[in-house]
Amino acid sequence: MSAVVAEFRRNRLSLSYVIVVALLILLVVAGGFLSDRFLTWRNFGNLFQQLVVLGMVSLGQTFVVLLGGIDLAVGSLVSASTVFIAHFLEWRPDLLWLALPLALIAATTIGALNGLLTIVLRVHPLIVTLGMSSIIFGGTLMYNKEPGGSVPRGLADFSYAKLWGIPVTAIVLVAIFALAGLWLQRSRSGRSIYFVGGDREAARLNGLPVSRIVVMAYALSGLCAGLAAIFLTARTGVGDPRIGTALTLQSITPVVVGGTVLAGGRGGVLGTLLGVLLVTMLNNLLNFLNVSSYYQWVIQGLIIIIAVSIHATKRRQ
Amino acid sequence: MAPLETPLPRSRGVSVASVFERYGLIVFLVALLLVAAALSPTFLRPANLVNVLTIAAPLGMVVVGQTFVILVRGLDLSVASLMATVAVLATAFKATTNDAIPIIFVAAIAFSAVVGLVNGWLVAKRNVSPFLATLAMMIILQGIRFGYTGGAPISTLPPGMGFLASGRIFGIPVNLITLALLAIVFGTVLHRSRLGREIFMVGSNPKAAFLNGVSPDRVIIFCYVVCSVCAGIGGLFLLGYVGTVSNWVGQGYELDSIVAAVMGGVALTGGRGNIFAALLGVAVLVVINNLVLLLGFPIEMQLIIKGIIIIGAAAFYRTRLA
Repeated sequence: MSAVVAEFRRNRLSLSYVIVVALLILLVVAGGFLSDRFLTWRNFGNLFQQLVVLGMVSLGQTFVVLLGGIDLAVGSLVSASTVFIAHFLEWRPDLLWLALPLALIAATTIGALNGLLTIVLRVHPLIVTLGMSSIIFGGTLMYNKEPGGSVPRGLADFSYAKLWGIPVTAIVLVAIFALAGLWLQRSRSGRSIYFVGGDREAARLNGLPVSRIVVMAYALSGLCAGLAAIFLTARTGVGDPRIGTALTLQSITPVVVGGTVLAGGRGGVLGTLLGVLLVTMLNNLLNFLNVSSYYQWVIQGLIIIIAVSIHATKRRQ
Repeated sequence: MAPLETPLPRSRGVSVASVFERYGLIVFLVALLLVAAALSPTFLRPANLVNVLTIAAPLGMVVVGQTFVILVRGLDLSVASLMATVAVLATAFKATTNDAIPIIFVAAIAFSAVVGLVNGWLVAKRNVSPFLATLAMMIILQGIRFGYTGGAPISTLPPGMGFLASGRIFGIPVNLITLALLAIVFGTVLHRSRLGREIFMVGSNPKAAFLNGVSPDRVIIFCYVVCSVCAGIGGLFLLGYVGTVSNWVGQGYELDSIVAAVMGGVALTGGRGNIFAALLGVAVLVVINNLVLLLGFPIEMQLIIKGIIIIGAAAFYRTRLA
């Protein structure tokens, strides 16, 4: 029985991937015809550089959504982390080795706190993370309202470094996704996220440490937000208390487009990576076609509805 | 068939616990008002109170609608975007005389109803989760609105629109009268009518509702339409208050309306809640915000306090039910 379920799950997933990959190919071909600057090495280099931050945040969101939760605090957390990193480095540029781990530890701790609150207070994650987001945002603004701080040269260089013409940050991103994918699919703790997301009560009855798994998933989301903040600070050179605001909702689109179901238990990080690629590439192409960013919003909304409708219909059949 | 009572907790005995359970929010609000009056001499001044209520009215209208949607296990993130879009729609008539105001109202309500219909259809018929359906609607409306205005603020409005914010009938602010009317009409529908009972039934157990001959899809779509229409009306009143249409009129109202409803004891899991309690939630939220300002704290402090209160209130109701 479980073999059948696993098989069904695999097929369903691969079908989602096929749809997204087909859309990606369609987009590349259409882009090649519509704009002569789209299919260039240079543009793809830029594109990969752009998608790193969104990719990182979406990866964290994927863990939480797989669990059946949602993390609306990621945007504020990214903003707060950039402020922390940039101001710390302005104070002591030589302590780069200390600043970055500290930022990651702080972000992970706040993420874990989100998970812990949903468990201890038994409050819907939407409410917990919304409240936390408000608290983090308010705290960051009280510290500093304007973008500020600076980063040492080395960190800025890292964000523009290239290896064989490919941005190093993009290589790091793909490596992290690969690790995350392997962990989710192959390891006991990774699989347990699917179990808890699929049926929390059954997972509990099977003796899984549900609370610990929930806290772990939210902590990972926090960690990813911290990593995204490092990439972001390296590129912009400042800490901006508002820079992450839009990321909260943006991070959900690639996850659901990639076939991860909001109810939890189904999906994966490969879908999210493809989703990030699709969203970023589409916006990139629309920019080349001089479509105003206003209508790009409309298109993004339609993509969410269409993607989710397709996945929802398939589930019913 | 046994008469179906609305599943509100009704306490019979008179103990401190039961009083607090039923009137906890009122007790909290009264305590808050006393604290506010003690800490800040300006708080109880009529000018400040009217100011507080004027700010509260459009939010209250949105909360009336949001309550309907949350009762059927949903939530509507598109309300704020809809408010701003309705405000832009109001300027689209380029009206300079007050004759246009009825037309503006009809157009705004019709537009909002269509938005609610689409939201409800996506949730009920297409199985899209309420979060994503209304999130997408929020982004789409935002795009259409900015596409139309080009991002620039507009202020071509009939002069009478300001009346919606500052006007009074028999000394009572118009926006409060409208809020009261909306609350009474929709409160009657929700708590005294057959349709209202069906909403509670669908919210607490859709399958049982279906087996009892209720069509959950129709009830759900109705709730989304009510929510959007309330938000549309709230948008017009907020527009009267701010006077100029920036493209972000009402920003933050989607979250504030959910926060207020949750503080008022409307359960996000559906099937439990009361419109008037939700409006008390609005009062608590607005008084807290006002108090933070009067006490001279930085405005960012509002965000922190709001965050703590939303989590705390949700936790309070959760443990009480358990």
